[in-house]
Amino acid sequence: MKKYKKVISTVLGLAMVFSLTACGNTQTGTTAQTTETNTTEPAAQPTTEANTEQGSGDEIHISYSYWGTPDEAASVQEVADKYHEENPGIVVDIVCIPNEEYVTKLNTMAAANELPDCGIMSEAGVLDFGSKGLLADISDMYAGADAAPLDCITFKADGKPVAYSAANEVLVLYYNKDLFDAANVPYPSATEAMSWNEFVDTAKKLTIDVNGKNAGEEGFDPENIVQYGCTVDNWTWQLEVWALSNGGRWFSEDGKTCTINTPEVAESIQKVADLMNIEHVMPYRAGLTDDGVQSTICAGNIAMSTGGAWNIGTCLNGVDFNYGVARLPQMKNSVTICTGGPQVVFSQSKHPAEAMEFIKWYMKEENSWDSLIATGIWMPILEKYYTDEALTNSWIDNENFPEHEECVGALVDYAMNNAQSTCWYYTPHTNEFIELLRGVLGDVWTGDATAEDVLKDNYDALNAVFLGE
Amino acid sequence: MKKQHKKKMHKDEVIVAYICLIPSIIGLIFLTYVPLAAVLGLSLTKWEGVGTPEWVGLANYVKLFTTDPYFVDSIKVTIYFSLIAVMGSMVYSLAVALLLNRKIPARGFFRAVFYLPYVLPAMAVYIGWSWLYEANFGLFNYVLSLLGIHKLKFIASSELVVPSLALIAVWLSGNLIVIFLAGLQNVPRVYHEAAEIDGANAWQKFTNVTIPCMTPIIFYNLLMALITNMQVVTPALALTQGGPGNSSRFISYVMYQYAFKSGKFSYACAISFVSFLLIGVFTVILFATSKSWIFYEGGDD
Repeated sequence: MKKYKKVISTVLGLAMVFSLTACGNTQTGTTAQTTETNTTEPAAQPTTEANTEQGSGDEIHISYSYWGTPDEAASVQEVADKYHEENPGIVVDIVCIPNEEYVTKLNTMAAANELPDCGIMSEAGVLDFGSKGLLADISDMYAGADAAPLDCITFKADGKPVAYSAANEVLVLYYNKDLFDAANVPYPSATEAMSWNEFVDTAKKLTIDVNGKNAGEEGFDPENIVQYGCTVDNWTWQLEVWALSNGGRWFSEDGKTCTINTPEVAESIQKVADLMNIEHVMPYRAGLTDDGVQSTICAGNIAMSTGGAWNIGTCLNGVDFNYGVARLPQMKNSVTICTGGPQVVFSQSKHPAEAMEFIKWYMKEENSWDSLIATGIWMPILEKYYTDEALTNSWIDNENFPEHEECVGALVDYAMNNAQSTCWYYTPHTNEFIELLRGVLGDVWTGDATAEDVLKDNYDALNAVFLGE
Repeated sequence: MKKQHKKKMHKDEVIVAYICLIPSIIGLIFLTYVPLAAVLGLSLTKWEGVGTPEWVGLANYVKLFTTDPYFVDSIKVTIYFSLIAVMGSMVYSLAVALLLNRKIPARGFFRAVFYLPYVLPAMAVYIGWSWLYEANFGLFNYVLSLLGIHKLKFIASSELVVPSLALIAVWLSGNLIVIFLAGLQNVPRVYHEAAEIDGANAWQKFTNVTIPCMTPIIFYNLLMALITNMQVVTPALALTQGGPGNSSRFISYVMYQYAFKSGKFSYACAISFVSFLLIGVFTVILFATSKSWIFYEGGDD
């Protein structure tokens, strides 16, 4: 018995000693590894040395992060392989991250000092990442080039460019032509924005209850609506366009002051909420999900819906009705907002120069033409595509787009002449600000509070978040 | 001589016991206590994921309870949700377990049916429920409008969102049913027979025999359900994004939001530490009251 126990304790003791040595071994292993990387690191920095390294058979690997599905990543990898063919010394590896957790993942990678070399970046996180020193300086990317991206899609910190959007996107109005024809209502115009009252009246004619009566008629039953006239997407960041349309601003033009408590802003938000609670022409939306077009106009029972230009390629190409594109209605000014994820170089990169060359190459329209621009997901970034008719036609004259005249009026000219930068191009902390604003506006959508009251009551909190406190 | 031998045996056993405990203690220290201490340490600094943490003392905690736009509300919402979800799932699963404990036809099938929600993937469950709850054309509202009742907004309304989410949590509590079932099968038949001989009816047998015998199981389930529900985050992530307003912004969601959406890791550490203390307080309260209502058959060991 005693002997038996002795054996057990010896075995256990040995096991313990073994596990300790095992620990020790791995530890020495990692130290060795770190010293190894430490020695290679300074060697990699001077370009000449890096080239010799490359000459000896090693290729430079740069990682590029991208949001999207594995299918999309495969098409991005094809483009990256093309770059490898043109530049044999450089291999680009694609890191694919789902869109909804993109910034989350990058934040975590940044904390672990494992950011990719370069990648696409979520608009609302750009200036924030910049202020933390996580973005490499790419301000001379277009130095000496004959064509630069549109000014309204250039991210600026203190007036200095920190990133360029890889795509241009504007908000527009989509409408279901079949529903308009059935109700015998004229289509919204692609060249002249309708006034807000005209918009509400049109929506009323297209909102139909279970008895076939529309919202303008006597005896309309708002409890049993089978077809709605419109959806104005209240997904929070898109509401900024209505403030501008109503002559207000969320933030001052220099991005230093928060002016969301002004009457123009409150009125612009209230008008959107009234579409649901007073006019009954818009289905209830809590403004919590980013599926504005998918869950509204694409479902086929809503006549008009605001959305982004990217929706032409992401969901409207699959609908079984005829749709058209028009300008957003206007409250006081005819305006839309533009945005687009930029390509950035992360400062944790060991090969910033190569990474910048790659994204500069990648941002050329021809490299994303087939997969993104011709399909209607991205709009070009260079001004010449908006001003040179031949280039414009090469872009919008294909089967993925609605009719030519509509596209010229509501996409090309609208983006060129009426688009203003979304707030994240010139002020940081928009991520947190929009998150808080989303919470604050909850009671406005349900009709339990007015926009004026909640913006007044929460101004201090909103302003504190805006200032990054 | 014999006594000395016995003492030595005892000492050997102690040594073996400690040696056997070493792996689990190492695990506990490095996977639980060290991270916990690190969270406490980080929560006293300002650290946004990059650079070196900067010591700020209790500033994060002060900010949480004074100017933070979410935190105090999130505590209220979390406690509100936990109360409804815990009470609801305890009553529901005990009731279902009592029914499944009877000799009914296809008992195995029904046991599987009630356990099924627990093993379904969470995202699928929540998306399914979001269609039921949808404010304009959802199934529940379709039924309500057939009955001529005013439509309800369910998860899109700030009053109904927490009860609606708690209902999903109740529906998901299949694991509690299994534990209750096991407990019910351990209630000694002799007590029931004795009560029957004394002329007790079904309700009296339930309250005076079944419930007292079940108290240790009830306590265990209560504790587990409380801890799980205090950490609720999935419905907010999957369905509501914390809204409408802040009405479903649970503590864990606020923590997630600060840590991973905004990169304010040290601030999120402060939140998780407060959350830890809060759950700790509730657990201690539960343990403190347990002596007065738990009946252990084996005496007070």
